[in-house]
Amino acid sequence: MTHTVPVRVQTPQATSRARRPLPWRRLTLFAGMIVVGVVMLYPFWFMIDTSFKTQAQYQSGHGHSLHSWSVLSTALPIGRQLFNSMLVCVASIAIIVAVSATAGFAFAKLRYRGATPVFLTILAAMLIPMQSIIIPAYVNIARLNLLDTYVGAVLVYAALGTPFATFLMTAYFRGLPDELVEAAIVDGLGYGQVFLRIAVPLAVPAIVTVTVLQFIQIWDDLLIGLLFLQNPDDRTITVGLGALSAGRVTDIPVLMAGSLLSALPAVVVYLVFQRHLISGLTAGIGK
Amino acid sequence: MSAPTAVTSTHRPSSAVRRPASALARNRSRTGMVLTAPAFALVALLLGIPIMQAVYYSLTNWDGLTATWVGPSTYASELRNPIFWRVLENNGLLLLAVPVAIFVPLGIAAVLHTRVFGWRFFRSVYFLPTAVSWVVIGMVSARFFAQDGILNHLFAAVGLGAIRTDFLSGERTALLAVGVTFVWSMIGTNTIIFLTGLATIDPALHEAARCDGAGSLQVFWHITFPQLKRFVQFAFVMTVISAFTALFSLIFVMTGGGPGYGTTTLEFFVYQTAFAKGEFGTGALLGVFLFVIMTAVGLAQLKLFRSDD
Repeated sequence: MTHTVPVRVQTPQATSRARRPLPWRRLTLFAGMIVVGVVMLYPFWFMIDTSFKTQAQYQSGHGHSLHSWSVLSTALPIGRQLFNSMLVCVASIAIIVAVSATAGFAFAKLRYRGATPVFLTILAAMLIPMQSIIIPAYVNIARLNLLDTYVGAVLVYAALGTPFATFLMTAYFRGLPDELVEAAIVDGLGYGQVFLRIAVPLAVPAIVTVTVLQFIQIWDDLLIGLLFLQNPDDRTITVGLGALSAGRVTDIPVLMAGSLLSALPAVVVYLVFQRHLISGLTAGIGK
Repeated sequence: MSAPTAVTSTHRPSSAVRRPASALARNRSRTGMVLTAPAFALVALLLGIPIMQAVYYSLTNWDGLTATWVGPSTYASELRNPIFWRVLENNGLLLLAVPVAIFVPLGIAAVLHTRVFGWRFFRSVYFLPTAVSWVVIGMVSARFFAQDGILNHLFAAVGLGAIRTDFLSGERTALLAVGVTFVWSMIGTNTIIFLTGLATIDPALHEAARCDGAGSLQVFWHITFPQLKRFVQFAFVMTVISAFTALFSLIFVMTGGGPGYGTTTLEFFVYQTAFAKGEFGTGALLGVFLFVIMTAVGLAQLKLFRSDD
């Protein structure tokens, strides 16, 4: 790095904004961000625009219609599948939050002999890709007669979500002072009560993060649902759409209407809980 | 759970907790074990046992019902399968998209970090695809790259009509389409990671460099980038993991792995082999391959992070 100090003629207003780039540069950067914004938003515009056309209008590029929205429910049982998605998400997340919050609290505050290997085993499971266990899991679930039941899919989702959730909860509880637990114990509370009455209320931000991350993950999943819920009436909305698009349905506007509807809940969750989602995504980086 | 009534309060809290053999410590250990048991059981039964089963069945001829032992020769024969190498080649080519999925977001984050007008809005917009499923993204993308799709219209509009092609019907162009869609989807996540990283950097350093006469690009490469190393590594590993394990839905919807094996990646090949061809043993073997690759990536990540500390 050179140590020559450039001679700058600074106008009075410029002194406070000396670090800022020149106006034309800021304008160029702004224009660049607009371009990126268009690239990122275009697919959403395409979905909205196309969903208000008939197949013929889509192909000719002219005109709009409500046709695809009115026939959507005949193409796939949309209400039923939205309900299925919600049910599977709620049940899986309830399990994930319950087991990861209890385990995270124990790993952080109730360190027992042998806790470290158990903790590391659970963390190591993060390295297992869904596709590597899917075949044995499928056969096991089939042997238990849980294929095409919500229970089977929910168990697999819950197991896949638990390692990272446990990692997040443990990290969060480690951030809480040990004295908090000890003071409550001195006051005569049992460890279970400390967990329920003190730790859980304090861990709400971490629980929300886990919930939001898992909601988007499970809502958007295709593979598990495709294999474990094969009956169209049991399918989640994402799986229903995936199957429909693979089934060579050529009515693009109907597919787009379904896509919009399926994306909406996850997008709403994203908009409301963006901060939690970000903190969850960057949690793996560490301090 | 019984609440302990007497505690030696003269001790410092931490030593009181650590003291073995007391009733309190035993209670704590027991509670700890009970509270970790459900998570451990779930992971062991539904992930641990299946991965071991996958290893066992990878050494057999298995149709999902009956398995006959074959032994390590299953691996040898898969390594002689040209389709297997074709699939790995596809994975390798997709990895070429990873640097793009790192450097484009790095540039975007650097610009947003200058607090360009409307940066909060842009951040939200760029991050939005993170919430949308690969199924939906793939459906739009398939239209985008189709013969009569928007991309071909764009080419025609700028006088490049000669390029016009049905991207999804050529093996290499279809893989390119999948790769471009993959990069598009990773932009938001990686931008957010880099913005988080940029926020941790002390602005005084920048000012010092500026006073020394460094231009903004120089500042970025010599001051900012080295400090972002940890975040770049993290984004890199996450993107590589996504390239190997997150594209099933995208490929399923966009190309179905085709044309031919043009867009079949290892994770998609697992599914095809087991559930389309019924070769569960070979599918399990491919899954083990994927697991080994991901473990190698994960261990490399651990090593990278440790060398930093």
